[in-house]
Amino acid sequence: MLGQGFIQRAFVIGAIVALLSSILSVFIVLKRISLIGDGLAHTAFGGLALGYYLGLMPIWVAGGIVVLGSVGITKAMRSSKISGDAAVAIFLELGLASGIVLLSLTRGLGVNLESLLFGSILLVSLEQILYAFLVLAVTAAFVLLFYKELAYSTFDEVQAKASGVSTWFFDYSVSVLAGIAIIVSIPIVGVLLISALLVLPAVTSVQISKSLWQTVILSPIFALLSVVLGLVGSIILDTASGATIVLVGLAVFLLVLFAKRIVGKRIPTR
Amino acid sequence: MSDASVVELDDVGVRYPNGVQALDHITLQIFRNDLVGLIGPNGAGKSTLIGVVIGLIKPTSGVARLFGESISAENLRRVGYVPQAFQSTTNEFPATVFETVLFGRVQRVGLIHRFSNTDKTTTEEALKLLEIADLRDRKLSQLSGGQLQRVLVAKALAADPEILILDEPTSGADMHSKTEFYVLLSKLNRDRGIAVILSSHDIGTVTRLANKVVCINRTLFFCGLRSKFTDDVIAKTYDYSIKVIDHTHA
Repeated sequence: MLGQGFIQRAFVIGAIVALLSSILSVFIVLKRISLIGDGLAHTAFGGLALGYYLGLMPIWVAGGIVVLGSVGITKAMRSSKISGDAAVAIFLELGLASGIVLLSLTRGLGVNLESLLFGSILLVSLEQILYAFLVLAVTAAFVLLFYKELAYSTFDEVQAKASGVSTWFFDYSVSVLAGIAIIVSIPIVGVLLISALLVLPAVTSVQISKSLWQTVILSPIFALLSVVLGLVGSIILDTASGATIVLVGLAVFLLVLFAKRIVGKRIPTR
Repeated sequence: MSDASVVELDDVGVRYPNGVQALDHITLQIFRNDLVGLIGPNGAGKSTLIGVVIGLIKPTSGVARLFGESISAENLRRVGYVPQAFQSTTNEFPATVFETVLFGRVQRVGLIHRFSNTDKTTTEEALKLLEIADLRDRKLSQLSGGQLQRVLVAKALAADPEILILDEPTSGADMHSKTEFYVLLSKLNRDRGIAVILSSHDIGTVTRLANKVVCINRTLFFCGLRSKFTDDVIAKTYDYSIKVIDHTHA
């Protein structure tokens, strides 16, 4: 079965999406903006629905909408007039509600709502893999080039700003990259579960890492593990791939927490 | 303006969007080698004044200058800043002490460039100076409040600053830690010629330590040599009578 093209493509895009989301995961989780993934995913849902309704290429329409959404959410989060979680909630509700209305208007036009919501990794095309790889390459290059500024802004925005770091640039960049990552990841886990991939890898790696650098290295490892095991599990059990991947990710997180607790009990603290 | 002026505020005022006038008509100069004690009651605008100097808050009137120029990312690279309090996330951040102090070098290294061996050596020296070299590989979550404060000071010093600005850095620290900390500040000011601006509620210690005192309560009540600073100024600024008793920490 593993020799079949669609299975191989599923593993390739799974690995790409795992690396992509886990790189951003570190900065999103440590900046305490984990819910931004949910807000952007639902904004993307609204964008895809708009694309179907207008009869244009939905992925490009959604891409444009999600970039605008990520800028809007970040602007609202940086403003003192509205709290970060409220800003995310507003965009989430706007995306979801407009998406549902637009999809109900396009009923009968062959839109597969289930694949949007839950993903359809086995139907991934080579073109989608190429786009995902390009996004991964840009994201990895961005993080490598600006790692020290990104890490410092994530550590403490006020201190970084007082040191002359343009923190606004890194806030908007991470948000826009997360939005684009969500667009290319929708085929694998769907709108409803995409934010899990942007949160679980870093949350898991923070539990056992002894430094920031270790957190950055361990995050992709946990993400790859979850995606590969999740895909294998979904093929064997014939379950939805996205949900299986997220459940495996959660299981890995709980195992790491459990192991940390056991080790912590054996090694007395200072 | 003197060539040696490192900070200059010229009739600076700050009015927040909610209408609160935090600073009004503040004019002062701080020079190289100054060790300035910035005092004033709660809500006097000390943190706002510091925010203006480090470019976080734009004055709504007047002009603020660093090293004789408008405040910019370029001249902020020459400033070391130690914040009033940690963000609640700071001590949960998974960085080691070394990684955190190395952040101080970010402002000295250009965009895209990686940290060099010189940056790492400077970081090690800052750790030694603050006597926290033994904590090098410890995570921030494993440190006490006093140790965390030293880490942030080391980070500021790793930037090789020409001015060190500290916003109530010893709040929560015990007396012994405070005394050691103040001795260190004096040493940095005297031996390295780093201008120090120290905001604190500890009026007695700060005025004893500083060679210059800036006393504000929204407006400027005093800016000058410590020797000219009298109890009357404190009484006016704090709006009650107070007697400063000089004491030495053992």
